[in-house]
Amino acid sequence: MERSEHGNSSDTNTDCPFQLLCFLQLHTYTRVQVSIDICGVDHPSRKRRFEVVYNLLSTRYNSRIRVQTSADEVTRISPVVSPFPSAGRWEREVWDMFGVSSINHPDLRRISTDYGFEGHPLRKDLPLSGYVEVRYDDPEKRVVSEPIEMTQEFRYFDSASPWEQRSDG
Amino acid sequence: MFLRRFARPSSLMMMAKVKETTGIVGLEVVPNAREVLIDLYNKTLTEIQRVPEDEGYRKAVESFTRHRLSVCEQEEDWESIEKKLGCGQVEELIEEARDELKLIDKMIEWDPWGVPDDYECEVVENDAPVPKHVPLHRPGPLPEEFYKTLEAVMGGKLDGALKKDEPVIPATSQST
Repeated sequence: MERSEHGNSSDTNTDCPFQLLCFLQLHTYTRVQVSIDICGVDHPSRKRRFEVVYNLLSTRYNSRIRVQTSADEVTRISPVVSPFPSAGRWEREVWDMFGVSSINHPDLRRISTDYGFEGHPLRKDLPLSGYVEVRYDDPEKRVVSEPIEMTQEFRYFDSASPWEQRSDG
Repeated sequence: MFLRRFARPSSLMMMAKVKETTGIVGLEVVPNAREVLIDLYNKTLTEIQRVPEDEGYRKAVESFTRHRLSVCEQEEDWESIEKKLGCGQVEELIEEARDELKLIDKMIEWDPWGVPDDYECEVVENDAPVPKHVPLHRPGPLPEEFYKTLEAVMGGKLDGALKKDEPVIPATSQST
């Protein structure tokens, strides 16, 4: 558990944060009734590479808490939709962007990616430009997706210094 | 007209001030709030007996439920209950009591008791300074019974784990 000026965040290593979140919602001294956000973080170097982060707010006590659990590609987390109905869309987003699915989720579909999209965009191994590009094909009268063709090589901008990096100085 | 003029002052003096609205959307006024609260608190105290003794959760719930029950029994009308407890309106108290009952049921079903005594919850203190433009969301002051509850829980325990963490975050002993 981390306690800091920035806010409290708590790290649990259970597969089911559902029970912890139900406790936080119902207990008299931690009335956390609003789920602000559920998102994920990808740490490819770890064994359990994804971290699912629940941001919660208690309107009664005016305090926020962040609960983090870890998951890997095949772990299925339990949905927290019954205590927090707004979590339905957040969990869909976590599934869509990372591939961390939920057991018995009431409605698990893709939410931000295109309809036939393969892959999970926010994982670190999907490149920034993706693998396919789409264009409207006039003879076929529909949008087709083709493997990507970039005219320029990927440029890396080092934002540490705004000046052009030169070796001669 | 004369009848009305005589009838009104006496009815005002007989009833306590009637609450017109809670001010919160969706939360209706409960006219017999005191009886409902006393009933719920008694039910909570009997339900919490099912939790094993010596658990932080049980001590915490007993402590604040007894405090709130005693205040409700002493005071006659809802206004003085609200003022004395300092925990918001009686309708909110009723909601909290109902949720606590639900929670006791769920905790007994999940059965997270039995954290080993040497389980240390790692608390990381992050002292990095916050930049000036970032607003710090400071929570408001907690009601004093919260501190009394915290004392009641930490009084018997040596490692002083927080009452939230102690029953719920054991790394290996949760079976689900």
